[in-house]
Amino acid sequence: MRGWVIALLVSSALGACASTMEQTEGMDPSAVPSEEQADYAVFAQRCSKCHSLARPLNSGITDDGFWRLYVEKMKRQPSSGITENDKAPILRFLHWYSGLKARSDTKVDTKVDGGT
Amino acid sequence: MTRAHVFFVATLLLALLAALSAGSARALDRTFAGSVQLGENVAPMEPSTNSGTQSFYGFTAELSGKIAVDLSEHVSANVKICYGCHGFETDMAYFDLRLNDELNVRVGRFSPSFGAFNLRHDPANHKLADKPLPYDMGRMLRMRDWNLGVLPSPFPDNGVEVDGAHWFGDTAELEYAAYAVSGFKAGQGSLDLDFVQSHSGSLYYVDNNNLPAGGGRVAMTVKFAPTVDLTFGASGMYGTYDPQNKFTYGIFGGDMWLRAGRTNVRAEWLMRRQTFDTSDQSALKYTVSPTGGDFFVKHGAYVELEQPLGGGVDGIVRVDGLLRLGNIAAASPLSNQATVLRYTVGTSIVIARGVRLKLSPELYQFNYTDANGRNLEVCLQTAVAGAF
Repeated sequence: MRGWVIALLVSSALGACASTMEQTEGMDPSAVPSEEQADYAVFAQRCSKCHSLARPLNSGITDDGFWRLYVEKMKRQPSSGITENDKAPILRFLHWYSGLKARSDTKVDTKVDGGT
Repeated sequence: MTRAHVFFVATLLLALLAALSAGSARALDRTFAGSVQLGENVAPMEPSTNSGTQSFYGFTAELSGKIAVDLSEHVSANVKICYGCHGFETDMAYFDLRLNDELNVRVGRFSPSFGAFNLRHDPANHKLADKPLPYDMGRMLRMRDWNLGVLPSPFPDNGVEVDGAHWFGDTAELEYAAYAVSGFKAGQGSLDLDFVQSHSGSLYYVDNNNLPAGGGRVAMTVKFAPTVDLTFGASGMYGTYDPQNKFTYGIFGGDMWLRAGRTNVRAEWLMRRQTFDTSDQSALKYTVSPTGGDFFVKHGAYVELEQPLGGGVDGIVRVDGLLRLGNIAAASPLSNQATVLRYTVGTSIVIARGVRLKLSPELYQFNYTDANGRNLEVCLQTAVAGAF
């Protein structure tokens, strides 16, 4: 019984800590320009099916050629649901986001993987 | 030459064809990814020592690092190393030789295509701290009684797989896989699969018999709307597990995954039918029937709803269970019709982008009592998981 009470207290404390730092794994919609919103919606819908959006957004990749190969690879993942027509909006968003990151980061040398 | 050998030779020929047709290579691309999960299973009704434990209720850490190398548009390699309760394990080490989307040959060490959950087995890719019971690999209570789930995930093995997918317009995708791998193992006279031996290097990472196991998967994804898609699939594998190739296992499953917006509804059922050695009657709990007494069947299923609640918080409700039918070791507390049902209400909270806190109280309902006369147990699964 004592263990259970401790567990509830600890989990409540962890939950409280998390809520004070909360943020979503995707983009803040208000930070995405209106002309990018539709592309972001496709990216967020498709790329969150199997993994967190944090994987591509935290990757630091700025190379369009790399993204083309990688989106193609993700399209081939089983049950990804990424169609041929989804690729263009996803790549447009990643191009825009890469530019945003490149301007804000001075050192970008890591790449991302789906982690499956 | 067995059918498995014919399959192996045929896939090697396909792989060679894919390699020879490799297009001009873009600059070599290497990617690195990984994840870490620190978990704590708080099980206040379990004994206070891990000696002879029925559950891992202290801190557990799972971490992984994966490197993928694209040698060309047609050839890539992946290596993933995991660390968990079992120490270090090679979860992936394979080449993909892809002729086109419809034909890919995978050669090396990998989890063969089975079911829907294994694609998300990495702790960073599922939002509860533990896996569904059919795929449990050591987080469930009374895991020793049950010898884990139906198909503990992941299940890396050495072998070759042919797979591919084809889109019919933008509305439907058909995918398939067929493979031959070493298969699960157990010692002579064992009454069940030995998952430690199957994944451990202590007895070498080689097959314990000379007959590969084989299997396959077929799945269809249908897009009903831009944000609504439904995947349903069927999987199966079959092989022998003892050194003499006398005893068999067949694992079959069906799965469904509905995604509407960010809401996920998943359901999966697995069944393992396994024959075992009945020559030593004293090792068994029940008198062996002269007809059909040499096998047991283990079912497992789960239904799961995952719903974003806003502010980086997801709610998850899951009901899962196991049903084991058939004779069992004499010392086991299970009967010949043993069941466990588990009810989970969990949450996954984003602490920072890429890092999540997972909390899930669980209620277990067994159809047999433990040494303290309990058939109901509770635990709280907690974890912090991050991906990079």
